[in-house]
Amino acid sequence: MKTNKIDAKDLINVGIFTVLYFIMFFISGMLGYIPIFALLIPLLIGILGGIPFMLFVTKTNKFGCVTLMGTIAGILCFLVGQSWISIPFGIVFGFLGDIIMKTGDYKSWGKTVIGYAVFTDWVIGSMLPMWIMRDVFFEQSSKQVSGEYLDALMGYTQNWMLPVVMVLGLVGGIIGAYLGRAVLKKHFERAGIV
Amino acid sequence: MQLFQGGSVHTFLKIDPRTKLFLLLVVNIIMINGSTAGAAAIYKPILACLPFVLLLTGKRIVAAFVYGIIFAMAWVTDQYLSGYLSGGINIVIALVSGLSTRWLPCGMMGYYLMATTRVSEFVAGMEKMHVSQKIVIPLSVMFRFFPTVSEESGAINNAMRMRGIRVGGGKGGVIAIFEYRIIPLIMSTVKIGDELSAAALTRGLGGEVKRTNFCSIGFGMWDILMFLLGTVFIALYFLL
Repeated sequence: MKTNKIDAKDLINVGIFTVLYFIMFFISGMLGYIPIFALLIPLLIGILGGIPFMLFVTKTNKFGCVTLMGTIAGILCFLVGQSWISIPFGIVFGFLGDIIMKTGDYKSWGKTVIGYAVFTDWVIGSMLPMWIMRDVFFEQSSKQVSGEYLDALMGYTQNWMLPVVMVLGLVGGIIGAYLGRAVLKKHFERAGIV
Repeated sequence: MQLFQGGSVHTFLKIDPRTKLFLLLVVNIIMINGSTAGAAAIYKPILACLPFVLLLTGKRIVAAFVYGIIFAMAWVTDQYLSGYLSGGINIVIALVSGLSTRWLPCGMMGYYLMATTRVSEFVAGMEKMHVSQKIVIPLSVMFRFFPTVSEESGAINNAMRMRGIRVGGGKGGVIAIFEYRIIPLIMSTVKIGDELSAAALTRGLGGEVKRTNFCSIGFGMWDILMFLLGTVFIALYFLL
């Protein structure tokens, strides 16, 4: 009965867990409205998203499901007004995460942790315009924008911040994976959901 | 919380979902990336009016005006005042307005798309664009699920409040408040999802045969106009 092809049940599971993942994304995004916390979004989404994600991986251990989840999360981001860059990022990072988990056959705990950490970095896609915007501000700066505002913006989006944000995403992913497993053990296995 | 509409929607302008997606993409590309100086200072505010007008035709009057006022304020701040601002709170204001001029039109365009389109219409549009079933099925499940999840979440929230597990309720810390809401939510959602899969499989989802759709969608005069408009803006953006 167990095949490796994605069937309708898996697709429905992808839909359900993307909703749950997106709710976690939404909660993290709320905190991101406080400007200083914006850079912490990947960390938060990594930690919170780990709970539905780990359950998702244990329920649908077929190649392609994680890619689909990334793609759909990207599309949803686009529909609610984030940059279109989210979609390619969702596809690419979802696919990378998927490949890493596939090498462990979705059973190796270490591979799942790394895969989820990589997957979490798709969030960078929705933040990337901040860095693109900075160059545009540079262009403009001679004309009108000046003073402390520009300094604040520059300090906020240094080039080295991008790798920092990516690393934050990875760290968040690792913490989230462990949190997710703990929750899985504490609640879901006992309830017989897995 | 609801993405897309369950019942039929009355709008003055009947626009195809594919056209709406195209316009969303146009607004997205132009407003988020790119400067607000030079020629962009002229065509960007004009493009920002598009969601405003479309929301009016969709009878979302309040949303349209709230959006219009916020965008106008943010635009003025971003264009004329940001150079003179200094000090902590003013920088935050300048940052928020700078971000609003870029993200708000996209958000409102997305809101328009969801507020005036039925789920079935959107699915029909995706199918006509030959999007794979692997994308269409999870997406339609999601759109069906958002209202369910928020309903469940409300019920769980009530139960937990009754038990005193809330902010200032004296029982449990922040983690407990979070855990006691999220875990039951995931449990019930997964259970509902299993039932939904069984129901959907019975109704032939995932079968070999092409599924039919009740909604008839197609391009009309307004769609052609909107496509022309979008193309003009894209051309302006890349040429100027």
